[in-house]
Amino acid sequence: MTTVVIENSNYKEELRQKTSKPLLWIALISIIMFFSGLTSAVIVSQGGGGFINIKLPFAFTISTIIIVLSSATFYYGLFSIKKGKIEAAKISISLTLLLGLLFILSQFLGWSNLYQKGVYAVGNQSTQQSSYLYLLTVLHVAHLIGGLISLLVVLVKTIKGKYSSTNFLGVQVSITYWHFLGGLWIYLFLFLKFIIV
Amino acid sequence: MSTHHHQKEDFLFKYIFSTDHKMISKQFLITGFLMGFIGLAMSTLFRLQLGWPGESFKIVDLLLGSWAENGVIAPDKYLSLVTMHGTIMVFFMLTAGLSGTFSNLLIPLQIGARDMASGFLNMLSYWFFFISSIIMLISLFVEGGAASAGWTIYPPLSALPQAIPGSGLGMTLWLIAMAIFIVSSLLGSLNYIVTVLNLRTKGMSMTKLPLTIWAFFLTAVIGVVSFPVLLSAALLLVFDRSFGTSFYLSDIYVGGQVLEHSGGSPILFEHLFWFLGHPEVYIVLLPALGITSEIISTMSRKPIFGYRAMIGSMMAIAFLSCIVWGHHMFVTGMNPFLGAVFTFTTLLIAIPSAVKVFNYLTTLWKGNIKFSPAVLFSIGLVSTFITGGVTGLVLGDSALDINVHDTYFVVGHFHIVMGLSAIFGMFAGVYHWFPKIFGRMMNNKLGYLHFWLTIVCSYGIFFPMHFLGLAGVPRRYYTNSEFPLFDNMIDINQFISTFAIIAFFAQLIFFFNFVYSALKGPKAPQNPWKGNALEWTAPVEHIHGNWYGEIPTVYRWPYDYSKVDENGEYISGDDYIPQNVPLGENEKEETH
Repeated sequence: MTTVVIENSNYKEELRQKTSKPLLWIALISIIMFFSGLTSAVIVSQGGGGFINIKLPFAFTISTIIIVLSSATFYYGLFSIKKGKIEAAKISISLTLLLGLLFILSQFLGWSNLYQKGVYAVGNQSTQQSSYLYLLTVLHVAHLIGGLISLLVVLVKTIKGKYSSTNFLGVQVSITYWHFLGGLWIYLFLFLKFIIV
Repeated sequence: MSTHHHQKEDFLFKYIFSTDHKMISKQFLITGFLMGFIGLAMSTLFRLQLGWPGESFKIVDLLLGSWAENGVIAPDKYLSLVTMHGTIMVFFMLTAGLSGTFSNLLIPLQIGARDMASGFLNMLSYWFFFISSIIMLISLFVEGGAASAGWTIYPPLSALPQAIPGSGLGMTLWLIAMAIFIVSSLLGSLNYIVTVLNLRTKGMSMTKLPLTIWAFFLTAVIGVVSFPVLLSAALLLVFDRSFGTSFYLSDIYVGGQVLEHSGGSPILFEHLFWFLGHPEVYIVLLPALGITSEIISTMSRKPIFGYRAMIGSMMAIAFLSCIVWGHHMFVTGMNPFLGAVFTFTTLLIAIPSAVKVFNYLTTLWKGNIKFSPAVLFSIGLVSTFITGGVTGLVLGDSALDINVHDTYFVVGHFHIVMGLSAIFGMFAGVYHWFPKIFGRMMNNKLGYLHFWLTIVCSYGIFFPMHFLGLAGVPRRYYTNSEFPLFDNMIDINQFISTFAIIAFFAQLIFFFNFVYSALKGPKAPQNPWKGNALEWTAPVEHIHGNWYGEIPTVYRWPYDYSKVDENGEYISGDDYIPQNVPLGENEKEETH
């Protein structure tokens, strides 16, 4: 049986242009709801009492600075691609990737600090409060790893010259997600600082 | 303008890893029905226990083996059956089976798109659903049996692996299956929303969309908003089960031993669960309501009454569904003031629901109704939506609900308003769009037989449950024969179980009709019901891309049925005008 197959390159490209960003935006809504569920859970749990004062590791403040910086470097990368300055884009996107990795490192330092203070994620000595601290930050990093993978793809494509001043949809999608992760971290950081500890 | 070349697809990519929305729709339909059949069979088996407690049945022995020594279901396995019946029916049959089938089939065809926004994500959505179904079924065969904490899996039964036999591996697999199911559902919803918003054909404004599309769209929106919250609830549960955290667990004894949990509360789980759980009712129901709107208008040969009111009421239902979850928790020690707030928001849902019912009835009123099995099931839906909705008012009111909480009154209510309405919508959809799905017609006579047996049995099963509930009979109990208080209820239980058995056999008629017609039914014409929406302008044979040439342009809303000119003559010469027919010279567009 012969079938009409939508393999036409025009169709695929048009579809990509029309749907890539909206698909991401709806996915972001579901991630927002996921974290809303968890942070609402914290507030409900807090009503039960037992939350104590824990000093938030300074490493988490460093994380905040790093992720804000990384958003700026990524933005400069996109700006450079739009202007056709591919070399500058390569440097700023590489820098963003590096900052992303440093963010994860700073999170590790934060967790290590908490652990040394006897604040445990799981097990008999953990409390609801300590578990939430780890859970929220680890889940953010899990989402950030997705962002790093997309950054890596963008970097490779930039190096291979796949983007130009007229073709940069992939970078826009990736940067939207990256900015979102930055915003999510700032929300979580403030939540940890003013609500949980 | 894009052109399309002809290419032969091989078996693997045409039938298994297809990215064509129509094939994916069939995959959802068949998997959903298979799961539904298993869920139905489970309910028939445990109805035997409820109707004739402790009596031995050969069929039970044959089918359940070690779960039912000497043909009597073991008490813990009874709980497994109830839990798995609920889970399978709510999620696998009426969420994935219903929304997955019809959103996939109709969204691209009715909005005028070649396929979904992402065929690949769509394919993933089905395969995640399939894997999740398999894991859920495997959980029936593990040591300790399947999950047994009810479909709502409240902790501590679900949080402590040692609590009851079904709290062990069965529960773990339940959680894994549901996590995968949620991913599947989210991928599907992503696609449905973006496709509706971005891929509509020329002329297809949002107010020219068929109401089916509005329903699928809003269902997907509710799914995106509420399913992630269930995922967060499940995640915390996994941590409590496996890593010694105390989100839902406080100081608790099991087998005389104190467990090392402190500070948690199972009520937190209820909040998170019902934030999904209540919208889930409308995830199940809205597609059925959309299907009903389309079928009732088409088969009454009349424009849908109150098109915009229908959209508005669905939006109101979608919004309200997210702020009423507390009505499931009136007995958790909730502050009475908060209870009153939830009562208020819950009762508000009666308004858009009543608007919908009114519009269905006014559309049918004085219509030239073609009584196909599809329209009968649609009218059946209107009936169950009213019957179940009225008892919803009782349960939505905290002062009344507390008296019948966790009794058969609740079971009767939600089976009628959600279960029956949704399944009637699904049957209606299958009968109506069968020619579009399989290119063949179903047998009408078998369809009528199926409908009448099903509706009579449905009321026979669920209506008396309200009386059981009012008498105080609790739900989920293995047997009520131990309590002299309920001795006089046994006849009602036998009455219900008898109808359940007949209903089971009635569904076999449907399955026979479905399979036989798909293989041997008469070939369908392109537009068998003389419908206006775009799916009937596509060829009967399935082609990836939906239309051979250009996608049709839309000029009018989809409900121009029996439209006459000033002389009372049909404008188009027939009682329908498809959406792709341009307005005539003196013809006014319906402003509905």
